[in-house]
Amino acid sequence: MNALDYVILVGAMLGIAAYGIWRTRGRCDLNTYLKGARETHWLTIGLSVMATQASAITFLSTPGQGYESGLGFVQNYFGAPIALIIIAVVFLPIYRRLKVYTAYEYLGHRFDPKTRLLGAGMFLLQRGLGAGLTIYAPAIVLSTVMGWRLDATIICSGLLVVLYTVAGGCEAVNLTQKYQIGIIFAGMVAAFFVLLSKLPAGLTFSDTLGLAGGFHKLKAVDFSLNVDRRYTIWSGFFGGMFLALSYFGTDQSQVQRYLSGGSLRESRLGLMFNAIFKIPMQFFILLLGVFMFVFYQFERPPVYFNQTAWSYQALHGSGDKLRALDADFSSAHAEERRQLQAWLDARHAGNGAAEAAALAASEASHERGEAARTATRTVLRAANPRATANEADYVFVTFILGQLPHGLIGLLVTAFFAAALSSKSGELNALGSTTTVDIYRHVIRREASDAHYVAASKWFTAFWGLVAIAFALFANLAENLIQAVNILGSIFYGAPLGLFLVAFFLKRVGGTAVFWAALAAQALVFALCLTSISYLWYNVIGCAACILFSLAIQGVIGKAGAPATA
Amino acid sequence: MKSPPDDEVTGLPGLRTWRRVYLFVLVVFVAWVGLLTVLTRMYS
Repeated sequence: MNALDYVILVGAMLGIAAYGIWRTRGRCDLNTYLKGARETHWLTIGLSVMATQASAITFLSTPGQGYESGLGFVQNYFGAPIALIIIAVVFLPIYRRLKVYTAYEYLGHRFDPKTRLLGAGMFLLQRGLGAGLTIYAPAIVLSTVMGWRLDATIICSGLLVVLYTVAGGCEAVNLTQKYQIGIIFAGMVAAFFVLLSKLPAGLTFSDTLGLAGGFHKLKAVDFSLNVDRRYTIWSGFFGGMFLALSYFGTDQSQVQRYLSGGSLRESRLGLMFNAIFKIPMQFFILLLGVFMFVFYQFERPPVYFNQTAWSYQALHGSGDKLRALDADFSSAHAEERRQLQAWLDARHAGNGAAEAAALAASEASHERGEAARTATRTVLRAANPRATANEADYVFVTFILGQLPHGLIGLLVTAFFAAALSSKSGELNALGSTTTVDIYRHVIRREASDAHYVAASKWFTAFWGLVAIAFALFANLAENLIQAVNILGSIFYGAPLGLFLVAFFLKRVGGTAVFWAALAAQALVFALCLTSISYLWYNVIGCAACILFSLAIQGVIGKAGAPATA
Repeated sequence: MKSPPDDEVTGLPGLRTWRRVYLFVLVVFVAWVGLLTVLTRMYS
C-alpha cells in the first residue's frame, strides 16, 4: 500500500464514523437510541440487514472458498428467501404490534420471565463467543499480508467501531452501514472488472467458464442425499432456511435493524430486498473466486497464499524443503499453462478430441502442482499449526495486492474494514440493547429514567466492544473463517428458533415446558458436534428437538400456567 | 370499499399486495436455483 491507499483507507473510515456521530448527536431517549427514529427507509433497512450479515469475513474469505471449492457454498443461502418471507409474514407483525425493543421481550410476553432470560442469555452467549471473530478475522489476514501489528490492527478497528456505536446507537449504525456497504460493493465490482481484464488475451468469457467447469469449480447445485456432505441443495434449503429463520428472526443484531423501520411496510420491504439479492450477491463473490482460480492457472500463484508464513519458515526453518517444493510447483504450473494454451487453441479450432486430451493433461499437471502445495502445507503445519489453518482466506488479498493498481488497493482494503465495522456495529448495538432491556431493566433496575437506560446501554455496548477486542486479541481459528462463523451460528441457532416457533404456533405449550425443552435441545446439538453430520443440519435438529421436547414435557406436566396469546 | 391501512399498501408498481410481493420473491428464487442448476449441468 502506498500513501494514496492509506489516505483512502483512513479518510473513508474516519469520515463515515464521524458522520455517524455528527448526525446522531444529542439523541438521548431510549426509543431512538435502541430503535433509531423509527423513520428508516426500506432501502436503508435492506442495506443495513445485508451489511450486518455480510462481515469482512464474507468478502475476504468467500472468494477463497470459491477458488478452492467452487460455487457449491452458494447453496448455503438457498433457505434464506423462504425464511425471510416467513419472518415478514409471522415474526415482524408481532414484534411491531408489541412494540418490543428486543426479540426476547416477546418471549416474556408469551411465556414467562425465565424463558425471556433464557432467550436473551443464549443470544448473549452465542454473540459474546463470536464477538471477537468479526474483528479478528480481517485483522489476522490484513495484518499478516500488510506487515501491520495484529494487536494494533484489532485495537484500532475495534475502538473506532465502539466509539461511533456507543455515541450514536441504532441510528448511527444504520446510517454508517449504508455508506460502508456502498464502499464494499464498489470495491468488489472494481476487483471483478480488473480480474476480467487480467485474464489472458484470447480467453473469452465462455472459455473461462469452460475451463472452470473442467476443473469442477462450477458445481453450484448438488442433489446428493448424503447428509455428511457439507453443501447440498437439501442441506442448503432446509438447514439454511432454519439457520436464516433463526438468524434473521430471533438474533437481535438483525431484529434491531428491521424494527427501526418507519412502518411495517418499510421493514417488510427491507427484508424482501435481502430475500432477492442475497443469493446473487453470494454467487457473485464466489464467481469472483472461481475466476481468480482461472486467472492463476495462467499466472503463477504463490505455492502457499499466506506468503508471510512461507517466507518466515523458508528463512528460519525448513528452507531447503520449501524451496524444493516451490520449484516442483513452478515446473508443474509451467507445464499446466502450456497444456492450457493447447486446450484453448484446440477449442478455438473446434477440435473436440484435442481439446479433451489437453484438458486431461492440464488436470494431471494441476494435480502435480496441488501435491506440491499439499506437501508445503504439511511442512508448514509441522513447523507452526496456526499458520496453515486458513490459507484460502489469503487468496483474494494476495490477488488484490499483486494485481490491482494503487488507489484500488486502498479501496478494497477500505471495503474489508468497512465490512468488519458495519457487521461489528450491528452486533455491539444488539448486545448492548439486549443486556440493557432484557437483563438490566428487567432484572436489576426496573424503574429509571430514559436517560439512565441510555447511559446504561452505552456502558454495556462499550463493555461488549472491549470483550470483542479482548477475545480477538487472544483468538485462534481452526477453519476457513466464513465456515467458522456459520458453524458457530448453527450450534446456537436451532434451540432459540424452536423457542420462537413454539411461541408463535403452539399456544398450548407453557413457559416451563419450553424452557427445559430448549436446554435439552441445546445439549443435543452439543452432542451432535461430535458426529460427522453437516453443521447446517444442527439448525433443523436443534429446532425440531426443542419443539418435540416442549410438546412432550407439556404433555407430562400438564397445562402449567396459562400461556398468554401474542 | 374500505381502503387498506398504510402498512398493507406495498407501494410497488405491479405488486400491489404483499401476496404478490412474496410470490415475486419466490419466482426470483426459483429462477436463480434453475439457472444455477443449468450452469452446473452445462459445465460438469
